[in-house]
Amino acid sequence: MIRTHAARATVIVALISAVVSLWAPRAYADDPRDRPCQPPSVEKAVRDALPAATVVRCPVLGPESEIVNGVSRPLRSDTDPVTAEAVLPDGRLATVEVVVDDAVKANAARPETATRRVRSITYQHLDLTGSSGKGMALLFWAFALIAVVGALFVISRRNLIAAVMGMVGSFLGIAAIYMMLYAQFLAVIQMLVYAGAIMVLFVFVVMILNRPEDEPVAPSGRAGQVLGGLAILYLVGRLIMMLTHVEPASVEVAMSAPQPAAPMCIEWQRADNGGLTCAQSERPDWGSIKAVGADLFGPGLFPFEAISILLLVAVVGAIAIARPLREERDADGSHDDAHSGGGAA
Amino acid sequence: MSEVVWNIGYGHFLVLAAVLFLIGVAGVLVRRNALIMLMAVELMLNAANVTLLTFSRMWGDLSAHTFALIVIAVAAAEASVGLAIVVAVFRGRRNVEVDRLTTLRH
Repeated sequence: MIRTHAARATVIVALISAVVSLWAPRAYADDPRDRPCQPPSVEKAVRDALPAATVVRCPVLGPESEIVNGVSRPLRSDTDPVTAEAVLPDGRLATVEVVVDDAVKANAARPETATRRVRSITYQHLDLTGSSGKGMALLFWAFALIAVVGALFVISRRNLIAAVMGMVGSFLGIAAIYMMLYAQFLAVIQMLVYAGAIMVLFVFVVMILNRPEDEPVAPSGRAGQVLGGLAILYLVGRLIMMLTHVEPASVEVAMSAPQPAAPMCIEWQRADNGGLTCAQSERPDWGSIKAVGADLFGPGLFPFEAISILLLVAVVGAIAIARPLREERDADGSHDDAHSGGGAA
Repeated sequence: MSEVVWNIGYGHFLVLAAVLFLIGVAGVLVRRNALIMLMAVELMLNAANVTLLTFSRMWGDLSAHTFALIVIAVAAAEASVGLAIVVAVFRGRRNVEVDRLTTLRH
C-alpha cells in the first residue's frame, strides 16, 4: 500500500516537474528588471560613465506619470530623466540617473537627437540575485537540491521520524535560500521556529503515535558512527580554533558594545570636474532586524498585534483539544497520564 | 542552457518555490497519514514564503518580510492546533489514517 503511494507520489512529482520545466524559461525571460534601455543613447551614457559595467538595463522602477499643476502627465523616456541599472564586475549594482542635456532639451522638436549625461550614480548592496557568480550559482543549486530532496523525503518515507528529519533538512535549505534573498532576519527566524520548535513538536507527536510495528530504525551502522564522529570532531575543532583566535586587545574592548561596521558610500555625486565624491554613506541594512522591525512596528503594527491574539488562541485551543476527556481519564488513568504530557508539548 | 545554470535570477527562486509547493500539494493528495499531510502543508506555506521574499527583493519593498514573518507565526499556530487534533483523534481511534475517519460521512 505504502509502496504504491510512494510510486504515485513519484509519478505526480515527475509530471509537475515536467510542467514547471516547460514554464521555467518563460518566467526567467519575463524578469521586468531585464528590459533594455530605450532610447539607446541612455545605455551609451551609462557605458561612458561606467565602462566596466557588464550589464546595463532599464527596469521600470518609479512612477510612470507625474502630476504638474494638478494635471497628470505621462513620463516620456525620450525627454525625461531615466533610471538605469548597471551590474559592475565585482557584483555590485549601480542605479544611474540619466538626464537629457539641458541645451538640447530646449529643442523638443527632435528629442531623438538629444545627448544624455549621467546625473548621479548610487551603488546598491552586493546584489547576488542580480549578478552572476559561479560560486553563488553552485550554492543556490546545492541548497535548492537540499530543499527539494528533503521535501521528497517528507512525502515518500514510511518512517515518520525520517519524514520529520527530511522536513527539517528542507527547512534548513529554505533558510539558506532566504539568506540568498537578503532576508537574514527571516532566515534566523526560520531556523529557530521550524528546525527548533516545530521539529520538537512533530517528534513528540510521532513518539505518542509510535506503534510497535513501525518502530524507527536506529541509524547506527558503522559508516554512520564514523560520519557522526567526524562531524563532531570537525565542530569541536572549529570551535577551539575560533576560541583560540579571539584576542581582545584589553578588558575595555572586550566589554564594550559591538560597533557598527564601517559605513560604505552608497551614493556618489559626479562633480563638475568629472571626479566622484561621496554624497551619502550608510550601512546596508536590507533585511536586517532594524529594517524589518521598523516595518513591523510601523505599517505592520495591526497584523503584529493580531498575531499575538492568534497565538494565544492557538495555545489555549491546542491544550483544550489535546486534553483527555474526564470520563476517559477516569476509565484508564495510567494510560492518559502519558498522553497529557504530549498534549502540553 | 549554461545561462540558466550559471546566472541565478529571480526566476530560479520562483521556480524553486513552485516545485516545493507542488511537492507539498502532492503530499497532501497522495499520503493518508495526517502527520505527513500536516508536514506537507508546512512545506506549502514555506514555498509561499520563498515567493513572497523573492518578489520583495525584486521590487525593493521590505513589507513582504513582515508578511513572511506573520506567515511563519500562522504556520506555527496551525501546526500546534493540527497536532493537537491528531493527538486527540489518535487517542479515540488508535489511528491517524484519514481514510478511516469516516464518522462525518453519510
